[in-house]
Amino acid sequence: MLDLFIGMMKEEWRIHSTMFGSFSFAMFPVMIFGIAFMGSFLLPLMRTALPSGNLALVIHANFLLLGFMVGAFGLLAGEVMNRRFGQASLLSYSARSLPLSERFIFLNFVIKDTVYYFFLWVFPFGFGYIAASPFTGVTLLQALLLLLTLTLSFLFGLCVIFFLSAVYARSKRALWLLVLVLGAGWGTLVVVTGMNPALLFPPLLLYSSFTLVNLLVSCAILIVLFGASIMLFSPEYSGPAKKFTNAFAPLVRNLSFFPHPPLAAKDMIDMYRSGSVVGQTLFSFLIPLGVIWFFLSLLGRYLPPHGLLFMFAILTGVIGSTMYTWVTMFDTFGPYACLPVAVSTLIESKITSFSLLQLVPAVFIAVVATLSGELLYLIPAAVLCLAVSFYSVAVTVWLTGLSPSVLVYDVKVLFTYIVVVGIALTILTGLAFASPDYAFVSVILILPAWLVVRKAKVKWDAVDTAGF
Amino acid sequence: MTTILETKDLSKTYGEVKAVDHVTLAVGEGALFGLLGPNGSGKTTMIRMLTGQTRPTGGTATVLGLDVVQNPVKVREKVGIIPEQETPPSFLTAMEYLDFVGTIRNIPDVTKRADWWFDFLDFGDKKDVLCKDLSRGTRQKLMFAQAFIHEPALALIDEPLINFDPIMQDVVKEYLSGYVKSGRTIFISTHILEVAEEICSGFAILHKGKLLHTGPVAELTGRNEHLSDFFLSLVRKDRHA
Repeated sequence: MLDLFIGMMKEEWRIHSTMFGSFSFAMFPVMIFGIAFMGSFLLPLMRTALPSGNLALVIHANFLLLGFMVGAFGLLAGEVMNRRFGQASLLSYSARSLPLSERFIFLNFVIKDTVYYFFLWVFPFGFGYIAASPFTGVTLLQALLLLLTLTLSFLFGLCVIFFLSAVYARSKRALWLLVLVLGAGWGTLVVVTGMNPALLFPPLLLYSSFTLVNLLVSCAILIVLFGASIMLFSPEYSGPAKKFTNAFAPLVRNLSFFPHPPLAAKDMIDMYRSGSVVGQTLFSFLIPLGVIWFFLSLLGRYLPPHGLLFMFAILTGVIGSTMYTWVTMFDTFGPYACLPVAVSTLIESKITSFSLLQLVPAVFIAVVATLSGELLYLIPAAVLCLAVSFYSVAVTVWLTGLSPSVLVYDVKVLFTYIVVVGIALTILTGLAFASPDYAFVSVILILPAWLVVRKAKVKWDAVDTAGF
Repeated sequence: MTTILETKDLSKTYGEVKAVDHVTLAVGEGALFGLLGPNGSGKTTMIRMLTGQTRPTGGTATVLGLDVVQNPVKVREKVGIIPEQETPPSFLTAMEYLDFVGTIRNIPDVTKRADWWFDFLDFGDKKDVLCKDLSRGTRQKLMFAQAFIHEPALALIDEPLINFDPIMQDVVKEYLSGYVKSGRTIFISTHILEVAEEICSGFAILHKGKLLHTGPVAELTGRNEHLSDFFLSLVRKDRHA
């Protein structure tokens, strides 16, 4: 197992480092470390606005969200050996020629990814906090505890989504049933006890009062979820190939008002037939944001009136912008390179498909505004959410072209993204907190977004189209 | 004879590696031209540059009178391309893929043309199967169909026969020979010398990115020399040079 695991780790390193250089990739965790290290010195300032318990809640919620965002391995399971990795000739595919079961290879793949994300995000952040502890008055033990609980938060997010997506890959009906049962249980808890279930989140409990029993219970839950997810894995064997009637031609006719109807039609078919449109919406959008809502709602009393809704609208906008990775994950530029299609044309078409998907965050914010009794602010919140999403995606396109999920690990890319998006978000948060009407100011973002996309098209047309 | 494809000192370097090194080449209209060379000699890089997928680091290349750096999309509009490794998009069926290509290329009677290709390459039973579920050979047939569906003046093919069974190889070789008789041009890259000798009218030999020789196949036939012997002696000599 170790050889395969090490081989996959090396492969992952080389995929990234050959694309934008070993240094740029190696600096990624260093930057996360730096952010945590320097951020630690701002803690006294932050505590004046937010008590430390709530600050811990925000940080844990962030790492839970990170786990949610990377944990949908179940969606890969059916295709992992075939589509995304097979074509790239990665070890997860080629190892099939070795006397190893596909479940074993998949296990290695998942562990490798988990370890990788841990060292890219979780460890550097926790270590930055530890390194700053001698200067910030935080005891080493407290800092180590934070690293432990952040790791657990990340793993909880990852394992929950891994488990749900693995159930989904096996049986969609079972997944809906499970979601119904969990939702009912969650709802009952809220109604009967009036308690926010986020307060029962094991890593948070552990952080506020460490006990060995709590730690063991947390680990046991993770092991059960992870083990069950691996057991549910079912590799896709090529049985009799399914046949489909031509959906492309009618779709092109229906999308004729789009800038590039054939490219948009292909994206729609890709998302529908791969099951991504439902799977990704559920596991990379609805469930993560639904859970995070409960965490953020604990901050309500420290925010201005309606602040929570607008803060959530901004967060939904940022998460909504990651839908760009959904439409770019099906193909490299390779298959288009034998056709008269420029990279800029493909980027335009991907943005069009992305725009269609923005219906999901818009509806989601509408539901949240309704459920939270703030229907009055639905329109400014939706405008804010969509403006943030389009602006963030424009920056993503400019920085990463058609390969957002790979190039984001280039430290220069992430740093620029954080600065360019972060400044805009900070200003918008301040404005929306000051007055709900100011949320409409976010519409201005459409102009820089448009300019940035224009610049991106020129930039990516000038780059060799060798596929990633 | 009109020159369809021309390179002057065409070069591509990746860091220290010279993938293509000052190659000067001309291919006339109606030729079935073979670019030959061992693995890693720069054949695929040449095709990628000629189709505007990779920018040269030196020299120039014109295809059908168009500069490949200035007009990469226009070049791809006029030519047909079969890349060595690329496969058709995963979640479209074979028919949908040809429909997709036809719509992008503005071919009015694409269904009729697609049906002809399904019949001709004998894979009509797979037209409604997703591309990801097709065998390698069938994917190659599909890629072949997409490259010729608009009957381009020039087709550039990287390893045209590599995934075909012997029967299909025969069908394809016959098609390629017939295609150039109608005045159109084909540029293939291969390391299968027997195929090149059998169907090509002209050839060039690349080794370590450098052009070792270019000329008509008839020149060898006249000397009663096989292309494979000529190729091997030339490449071996260069290896020891």
